[in-house]
Amino acid sequence: MVLRFKLLILDNLIWGLVLGFFILNALFTPQFATYDNVLDILFHSSAMSMLVLAEGLVLVIGALDLSIDSIAAFAPGIVCLMGLRWAHLDPISMIILTLVAGALIGALNGWFVAVIKLNPFVETLAMEIVLRGLVLFLVPISLFPLPYIYQAPGSLRVLSNVPVAVFIMLAVYSGVEVVMRYTTFGRRFVATGGNPRASFIAGINTRRMIIAAFMLAGLLAGVAGLLIAGRQGSISNTMAQNDVIMAFAGAILGGATLQGGKGAPVGMLGGALLLGMISNALNLLGVGVTLVYATEGALIFVAVVIDRVREKVRVQVLKKEQVKRFRLETMETKGGDLASSS
Amino acid sequence: MTLPQAGVQAVHEHATDGGAMEPYDVLQGEVILKIDEVYKLFPGTVALKKVNVDVLKGEIHGIIGKNGAGKSTLVSIVAGLEAATGGTIYVRGKPLPRLTRAVAKRERIAIVPQEPQVIPDFTVAENLFLGSEIATSGFISWSSLHRRSRDILDQCGLPFDTHIKAADLSVSEQQLLLVAKACYVEQAEIIIFDEASASLTERDEETLHRIVFDRKQAGCTILYISHRIDELLKVCDRVTVLQDGQSSEAQSCELLGEEDLASLIVGENYTRNAADLDWSAISDGATGREVAIAIEGLGQAGVFEGINLTVYRGEVVGLAGLRGSGRTELLKAVAGVERADAGLVTVGGKSALFSSPSAAISKGVVYLPEDREHEGIIGTLSVRINCVLNALDQVSRYGFVRRSWESAKAAEVIRSLDIAVADMGQEVSQLSGGNKQKVLVGRIAASKPRVFLLDEPTRGVDVGTRDSIMRIVRYTLAQSAGVVITSPGLEDLLEICDRIAVMRRGRIVAEFSRDHFDEREIYLAMQGATESLPVEPSPGTSAPVSTSPTT
Repeated sequence: MVLRFKLLILDNLIWGLVLGFFILNALFTPQFATYDNVLDILFHSSAMSMLVLAEGLVLVIGALDLSIDSIAAFAPGIVCLMGLRWAHLDPISMIILTLVAGALIGALNGWFVAVIKLNPFVETLAMEIVLRGLVLFLVPISLFPLPYIYQAPGSLRVLSNVPVAVFIMLAVYSGVEVVMRYTTFGRRFVATGGNPRASFIAGINTRRMIIAAFMLAGLLAGVAGLLIAGRQGSISNTMAQNDVIMAFAGAILGGATLQGGKGAPVGMLGGALLLGMISNALNLLGVGVTLVYATEGALIFVAVVIDRVREKVRVQVLKKEQVKRFRLETMETKGGDLASSS
Repeated sequence: MTLPQAGVQAVHEHATDGGAMEPYDVLQGEVILKIDEVYKLFPGTVALKKVNVDVLKGEIHGIIGKNGAGKSTLVSIVAGLEAATGGTIYVRGKPLPRLTRAVAKRERIAIVPQEPQVIPDFTVAENLFLGSEIATSGFISWSSLHRRSRDILDQCGLPFDTHIKAADLSVSEQQLLLVAKACYVEQAEIIIFDEASASLTERDEETLHRIVFDRKQAGCTILYISHRIDELLKVCDRVTVLQDGQSSEAQSCELLGEEDLASLIVGENYTRNAADLDWSAISDGATGREVAIAIEGLGQAGVFEGINLTVYRGEVVGLAGLRGSGRTELLKAVAGVERADAGLVTVGGKSALFSSPSAAISKGVVYLPEDREHEGIIGTLSVRINCVLNALDQVSRYGFVRRSWESAKAAEVIRSLDIAVADMGQEVSQLSGGNKQKVLVGRIAASKPRVFLLDEPTRGVDVGTRDSIMRIVRYTLAQSAGVVITSPGLEDLLEICDRIAVMRRGRIVAEFSRDHFDEREIYLAMQGATESLPVEPSPGTSAPVSTSPTT
């Protein structure tokens, strides 16, 4: 029982980190633990959390995706150009089209990786550059104004000032968590990441799973793009640039590994929130923008080291339990033919 | 110093052919390597419980034991590849508390690993001198490297060019290359052979034995691990038996017969027919004559061709064949893991060539992979999830897995196969090899298929697990399905099968029905000897082999 409790804590350490960091800041930074600031952290984490989940899912399947931040700029960018400049579309279809565009690009990534068997690193690197280049080519420095409804997911606030984006974030995470945990699809998905060859032989359509992972990542990147565009009220051609690095950090903090087969959305949400809190706290402390970036990196470093230590402690806990049992067993057999042979 | 006790076992007539035996004269020698009270724990398993071995200078000391008895773990500890959890290793009387690979090397301990580990893109010479390059002030002297390599290879009787890549060698030759490296390049005094003969062909095995005896002449001490009794008795001076991670006292090989050693290895109640199948209880194999699977003219370019095999419901058919005879490839092609190029597979009245395992599984054909770790289990997931992976649709509704159904199904699998788990939420990677195998067998059985293709289900499991797997195959799996099974040794097949088909060079060359089982003849057929085959395979033509069991 004690062992189970220890493991429970160790397996959910990311939330312990989130809580610890929160309390630490609440104690030392006066404005930190206020209602408005907490909402602000959640609000500003929402778009990044979508990218974290996107990267996390691709990591779970055992691949990686460098192109999600470009998709987050390209999907809303191309749709807004289409809807506002080249033709006239109603905002609702524009929202849907943004998500479809993200999912399609993701599916294309997945197809190249799963069917053509390109290396995911190289393939998504190429996609990253192509899409960012197209955004820079097509979108002027900034594209605005955007239709009010198109901006709503990223900017609207309801019910005691809570941003819609926060609800979207929670809904998406709960949805993906349920799918991963309780559906046959989720089982097959995680199994594919854990051992693709074994899963293939067990009759899982692993190609479809890999394509699904990239497609979901593209879709989530589309959502992220929608939220960012809404928040800033415009499409800029540097939108979400380099955010993929932070997405990796969040996903790995949240329990995903580069080997695949590990990680759950619950943890990744923790990872995303920790990232959001770190940057918020640094802003409140008045750390300069350029230094924020470096400090974020350093803190991520610390967090990953803690995570590594966690993994070691986990192994140690299990081993100690085993040695204890082993000692007990050999004590019992003492006096038998074991002892007489020496 | 303990002397081997001859009285324990009745000395049979000299069972070993003493042709290559060295006179046994090192009994009173100095203890060069002392393994004292060593134990080792792995996550979820106790690999070594209590091991004491004294290795004398200049002897060939054999270590034998069942699969999973801890042989490889023990020698990995001695070679510094793994750390022991407790206990001490003494080399030349000096305790080595932190025995790393570097320390072991300094103490002149070399190891030839079980699977040849060469760098494929390096040449033979480079591989040979890897880690001990001949260099002057950091610059490798290629000419002397190749010259010395040539000398060493000649000494070993290995004909290959020193300039070719290691990847161009066969697995067997790669292994010999590593033998040469350990024996002649590293100038070790204690050389460990960890089942080095397992990946060798018969001829290369003779070369290996020659090298071993040569090194003994040169004064080296040799630790020789094998799971083959005959080989050990032929090569070694003394032998230590490991049983369930515990060592017995070393015995002199001169005084041991094969039967004695066998009973030491498996423990007290050793019988040849260990699974002890009650054949009267088995409904006489293929009585129903309902075809489970019919394979016609199946071929894969360069691997196998013209395979005809019909398996009836309730029947267990063994596929015997040497390494490389194409049996694994055949099973994989039938199961849709690899594509076959020609032929047809008929299951349930429909003919098809399965393009993927999922297509095969949907028709009721399941495959148990030979490579458990890489192709079988999903180590990061729990036992529960692994157990039901093939039967997910049975424990779910509208795409949602029902936790209670899933747990019930997993519990059923765990109970019926007697899998030792602390908790079904435990990660599979923490189980022992035998239990991993049982999880796999349970997993493929959970979907209630019509045809089981079992590729070496008893590989790398202990005798107890082997017996229970054999019983499961015979009593449970074969009850409502046809079974095709391969095995590392003929014994398993002889014990369990209704029929044995012999594969050689990608063809089925003979078939034996149970009443015509003769280990020697089957073995000869595997080797390609054509004397007195019960079924005339018409070699050289593509005419199909008669597949009807001789009655």
